[in-house]
Amino acid sequence: MLRLIGIEFKRSLLMLRRYPMEMVGQLIVITMIFYGLFLGARYIAGPTAQFGERLDALVVGYVLWTFALFAIGDLSWGLMDEARTGTLEQVFLSPYGPSRVYLARNVAGLLVTLALNLGILLLIQLLTGVRLDFSPAVLAPLGAVLLGAYGLGFMLGALALLFKRIQAFLNLFQFVLMFLIMTPFEQFSGTARLAGELLPMTIGAGQLRTLMARGEAFDPVVFGLALASGLAYLIAGLWVFGSAVRAAKERGLLGGY
Amino acid sequence: MSVLVCENLQKTFHSHGRSTRAVQGVSLRVGPGEVLAFLGPNGAGKTTTIKMIAGLVRPDAGTVRVAGRDPHRDPWALRQLGAVLEGNRNVYWRLTPLENLEYFGVLRGLSAATARRRGRLLLERFNLTDKQNALTQQLSRGMQQKLAIAVSLVHEPSLLLLDEPTLGLDVEAAETVKRMVRELAAGGQAIVLTTHQLDVAQQLSHRVAIIREGRIIAEDRTDALLARFSGEQYEIEVVGEIDAARRERLRALGAEPLNGRVVYLGVPEGLWDVLDALRPLTILRVEKDRADLTEVFLKLIREEERA
Repeated sequence: MLRLIGIEFKRSLLMLRRYPMEMVGQLIVITMIFYGLFLGARYIAGPTAQFGERLDALVVGYVLWTFALFAIGDLSWGLMDEARTGTLEQVFLSPYGPSRVYLARNVAGLLVTLALNLGILLLIQLLTGVRLDFSPAVLAPLGAVLLGAYGLGFMLGALALLFKRIQAFLNLFQFVLMFLIMTPFEQFSGTARLAGELLPMTIGAGQLRTLMARGEAFDPVVFGLALASGLAYLIAGLWVFGSAVRAAKERGLLGGY
Repeated sequence: MSVLVCENLQKTFHSHGRSTRAVQGVSLRVGPGEVLAFLGPNGAGKTTTIKMIAGLVRPDAGTVRVAGRDPHRDPWALRQLGAVLEGNRNVYWRLTPLENLEYFGVLRGLSAATARRRGRLLLERFNLTDKQNALTQQLSRGMQQKLAIAVSLVHEPSLLLLDEPTLGLDVEAAETVKRMVRELAAGGQAIVLTTHQLDVAQQLSHRVAIIREGRIIAEDRTDALLARFSGEQYEIEVVGEIDAARRERLRALGAEPLNGRVVYLGVPEGLWDVLDALRPLTILRVEKDRADLTEVFLKLIREEERA
């Protein structure tokens, strides 16, 4: 598995070195969208408005949303692209099996995604004047969110494998993801909170808001729940993906369009 | 011992309430150093069979063994298999040839260092060393195909599946790929080759299997199959007029003088008497009627259609 992660890491670095403008373009577009939203909100609220903690929470949510978008999208867009260009079957000829190869690809792509999102965060902070609390503790809930994101990524990857053209669905899914990540379920109470926290990534996203926007202390119990949720969704995602691979082989769906 | 053994493979696809029996009881064997040309019209079941061998399509029934292991039950059986699939790029166009070889080598179970070392050797063997650091998308179609074959060999598999390896290549590139296939077979590689270019199949294969509507309708050594469909007649082309006396003598020997040529249908030893009867005319050509694979293929397919 380490070999796989190593070679996937090399591949993602080579792509980045060879096509740096793709990443720079993404960084600028994503930042500008947020800045546009920020300017619009400030115009509506008037020049004296103070957003305070809510803006901080919004920045955390937005950056986390783009982070999850990359983590989830890499696999499903990648699968569709490989089916179209004709390298998918070569990947499936690996004795490691597609689940392990794509898991390695996710882990290897993490550093690039992390660098991209850190860039977006710094640019947004620079443009909006928001100052977030960074501490090593934020990495823990971030990891938990990522596990859930990869789980969802494998589920969408399964759909891509079986139905091939799911671009329209993936585009709509961005808004589902926005709802999952940006809704402050941690501030809800009762059944709404419980239902919200059963959804993927919500507990980790809530803890990140608590730590970075509200400056509260790290709660290991909340982190434990976030981690359990992330692991559960990752395992479920891998299972769904494995089943989709079997179904695709059964129905002869691997290969080009 | 056979490198590939397929027994009674069956596959039916179901789509929109309709069933298509793609493969019905296909059995194949390929030994080391042997090239099997697996031929058939479009939709005959070639690609489905190839993908069942490669573990990419699961058979409804039947078994596949590659070097004694079943790729549908034991993923490491794929370590013994390399494939270049038709209609696919097979390699990453945004990577260089050497990077592709290293990447796919590791994906097939090698260490990065071993994959790089073998990759360099393969690039040298396939005359791609000077392109090792060029982006694959910038290579010619022929070079890309050679690279795809090199990538399929990086983990030194026992069995190589080549689906239409010369399709879309210019004459020179196609000749290079054919030479490579011959060299690989001479080195002990077992190869299954599917192609619609029957002249290529005839030149490269030791054995031929022809599939139609999911069933194998003929399987034999290539030379035996060609001989079976070849006529017994000899044709002799001469320069100059064959006079009346010679015509009579030729007819007595069982030969038919036609315009500038003689067709002989007797026993092979009698050919010397026919040639003697033609003395001292200049002989341009003596040829035994020999079917080519295209004729054999078309005859078999049409016979099946009539049946």
